Amino acid sequence: MRRRTFIAGAGTAVAATAGCVGYTGGNEGDGVVTVATYESFVDSEESIGPWLKENFEADHDAEIEFTVPSSGINQYIRRKQEGADIDADLFVGLNVDELIRIDDELDEQLFDSIAGDLERSDRVIDELRFDPDDRAIPYDTGYISLVYDEREVEPTTFEDLTDEANRGELITQNAQESDPGLAFLLWTVHEFGADGYLDYWQQLEDNEVRILGSWSDAYNAYTNEAADMVVSYSTDQVYNGDTPRHQVGFLNDQGYAQPEGMARFADAPDADAATDFIEFMLQPEVQGVIAEKNVQFPAVDDAELDDEFASLAHVPPEPVTFGYDELAGNLDGWVDEWARQIVE
Amino acid sequence: MARSRRRVDTPFLVAGLVTAALLVVMLYYPVGSVLVEAVFADGRLSLEPIRVVLTDSLYFGDLAGVFAGESPLELLRAVLAGEASFGRFGFTAYQAVLSTLLSLAIGLPGAYVLANYEFPGRRTVRSLTLVPFVLPSIMVAAGFAAMFGINGPLNRALSAVGLPTVELMFTLEIILLAHAFYNAPLVVRVVAAAWEGVDTRMVETARSLGASPRRAFLDVVVPQLAPAVLTSTLLVFIFTFMSFPIVLALGGFQLATVEVFLYDRISRLQLEEAAALAVLEAAITLGLTYAYLHYERAQAATRGVAAKSRQRLFARVDLERLAVAGYGIVIAIVFVGPIVSMLLASVLDANGAFTLQYYEFLLDRRDAVVGTQPDVAIRNSLAFAVGTLVLAVPMGVVVALATARDTLSARVVGTLAMLPFAVSGVVVGLGLLQTVVFGVEVFGLQLQVTGAVAIVAAHAVGAYPFVVRTVTPALSSMDDRLVESARALGASRTRALLDIELPLVTPAVAAGAAFAFAISIGEFNSTVVLVEGGDAYTMPVAVQRYLSDRTLGPATAMGSVLLVVTSVSFVVIERLGAYGGIE
Repeated sequence: MRRRTFIAGAGTAVAATAGCVGYTGGNEGDGVVTVATYESFVDSEESIGPWLKENFEADHDAEIEFTVPSSGINQYIRRKQEGADIDADLFVGLNVDELIRIDDELDEQLFDSIAGDLERSDRVIDELRFDPDDRAIPYDTGYISLVYDEREVEPTTFEDLTDEANRGELITQNAQESDPGLAFLLWTVHEFGADGYLDYWQQLEDNEVRILGSWSDAYNAYTNEAADMVVSYSTDQVYNGDTPRHQVGFLNDQGYAQPEGMARFADAPDADAATDFIEFMLQPEVQGVIAEKNVQFPAVDDAELDDEFASLAHVPPEPVTFGYDELAGNLDGWVDEWARQIVE
Repeated sequence: MARSRRRVDTPFLVAGLVTAALLVVMLYYPVGSVLVEAVFADGRLSLEPIRVVLTDSLYFGDLAGVFAGESPLELLRAVLAGEASFGRFGFTAYQAVLSTLLSLAIGLPGAYVLANYEFPGRRTVRSLTLVPFVLPSIMVAAGFAAMFGINGPLNRALSAVGLPTVELMFTLEIILLAHAFYNAPLVVRVVAAAWEGVDTRMVETARSLGASPRRAFLDVVVPQLAPAVLTSTLLVFIFTFMSFPIVLALGGFQLATVEVFLYDRISRLQLEEAAALAVLEAAITLGLTYAYLHYERAQAATRGVAAKSRQRLFARVDLERLAVAGYGIVIAIVFVGPIVSMLLASVLDANGAFTLQYYEFLLDRRDAVVGTQPDVAIRNSLAFAVGTLVLAVPMGVVVALATARDTLSARVVGTLAMLPFAVSGVVVGLGLLQTVVFGVEVFGLQLQVTGAVAIVAAHAVGAYPFVVRTVTPALSSMDDRLVESARALGASRTRALLDIELPLVTPAVAAGAAFAFAISIGEFNSTVVLVEGGDAYTMPVAVQRYLSDRTLGPATAMGSVLLVVTSVSFVVIERLGAYGGIE
């Protein structure tokens, strides 16, 4: 219930600031900007998509249309490989692992570099930039953390997770299919190194770690009290309130950052309008609304965030993450080795 | 079993051609476009991708060494020492066998009760048996985790009566139970249809000649049920062999099936390995199908059909009726409990407090400018399901007639007819995407197939094997002389089919039709691809779209809507069928 109260408050704030979203310059196209994105961008309880459409169209001479490709970015990689039309202008919701896959699979450019076309690209927080070629521009980030029941456990370090007292109490996700699951795996690689993470996982296995499929599988099991810790997002309390069963835990004071990016297709039918939309997404007021509705954190250093949101959405003292260069050439191997160790 | 097939009627020809065309466009060509990767390496014809998978211990354990050319003696030694492992394929087959046995153990008594007892609501119960079949895995996971959780209703009931509690989450057992939840109803449905068609006069004859009830059952009833039992065994094995989301939703990655890895390879666009895995999966399931068809033909016994009389369940109390009551408790735990838990999950927030906010969300979504509207999803699902039924039943009957003979070609066609079940859903989805959705050039024309019509066609292709599998055993066991007499008296082949054969196999056709409807309602992999930005989305697609990595609420509310809408339509269909004389 708490979340609804909060969102209602945010709604008023949005209405107040919407009129003064300052940005109106740039390229005035007259076409339709087709934005390819993921489901919850348009279909969640307080999805950001409709708000962006309404407010962008209010001061731009362009129409926004959303499309949710069934296989995400793979849809466009396959289209490029098969010589089929790319019928979208930009992709919103790109992760670094997907960017690496694009570059592994395609010789030609799927997206083009746009940082030079953007007035506000220098406001993007440096630590969140994950594309050395500036094709993908971050628009928000999540932090992977633990959610735990403070009446039962008190995880503060990686060692705590392998402690006998916490046997069978950690639920995580399959790193092959789940974003938070992959982030947690990479977090352990970050902590223990490529030579050490499998040993750590052996200890987790010995301590009966539960590896379910998707985020919803894991969270569903946690909700039904199958264990007292689950790998999830540091924004958990925005949904569930600050209750004993919804405490956010940062291991070694860290959280693994998972920035989401947007990129313009090299073949964008309406490239100028697409660039305008990306610029719009980086405005301070818009960044605040994206963070609150998408329940993520802003990607620019001057976003306007509601105080109550900030009090429920926790930022780790020390955010960690791997960039493109560290992951390229390593990612598949790390995940494959992990999967083999778990099932064999 | 000589059937005169020299003169082919026009309606037959048309139905046959339409079936063949749909199969090529919506199945063979798309699936072929993916599986071809399994037999190419570096642009040349090669079995290298399949060899790589066969010799990978991840997939075949100790068998991989044998495929790689090592001596089988080492494997034999490991087997005898009890330390042999057979990799993901071995585990997948193992859990599928156990799941099938459990589904039979729960399903066969249900078929017996439905076929032999009369009780208030019998027809409604029979209609509702198909409901589990259509439920998205997120719903089943929510229901099972709640029902069988450490503090769930089952454990609370156990401790209330002083019994020890059970920890089922993260075990193989809960996966088997979930598979039985999906598949035991299938056994009930298919076997009950056969049981209702058992010629009771033959039982009476056997009894009057001095056979004990047990003897009469074994010698008269069992042979007549065997084809249906084996058909459902085959189907359940195939479905649980290909099981994917539910395994990781309740069990865990240590219990991953082949399909889990196939899905991963597709998502990472490692298409050669994905195709090789899919080919091997299909080889196993189709191989079993072929072996089964060989048996089915050999079993086909000529028989007649007589109306069934049922005993009243609540007439008196005896040992058998007490057993039925015990069975009722099992049903309450495995089916009713999880379903009630699913519905509850949609009205509880993460802290366990009652809320209607997820239904408010669905109501608000009706006016959404952007995104998925629940009312559109309901309408589409029902319309597509009716369309599928109309298309899949004739398709299935035509293929059943073409294969209800004991010849090599009939067995091959019958085996290939099962392809929609034997090929991984994610492979079919990718195939459709990169062929008919991206567009195919035919004679210089760019052809694209998406939207409502394409979805109905894809559903019909995915559903018709059910009609084939339920109708063929019934057709092969029918007395051929009936049709021959009709033909001799001047009836066309179509007329003979409509007037003689179909009325006699009505229960089987009705069971197949109900499954066709259910397959359409529950189908996800092809639908989500063919919707392609349009508004032809269905209820399972809506459930998926309302699911995000932040909250389960909206998806469980939509899933509950799916459950209720589907239940109501099954009951309505059954009632309409009863009016139309289809019992």
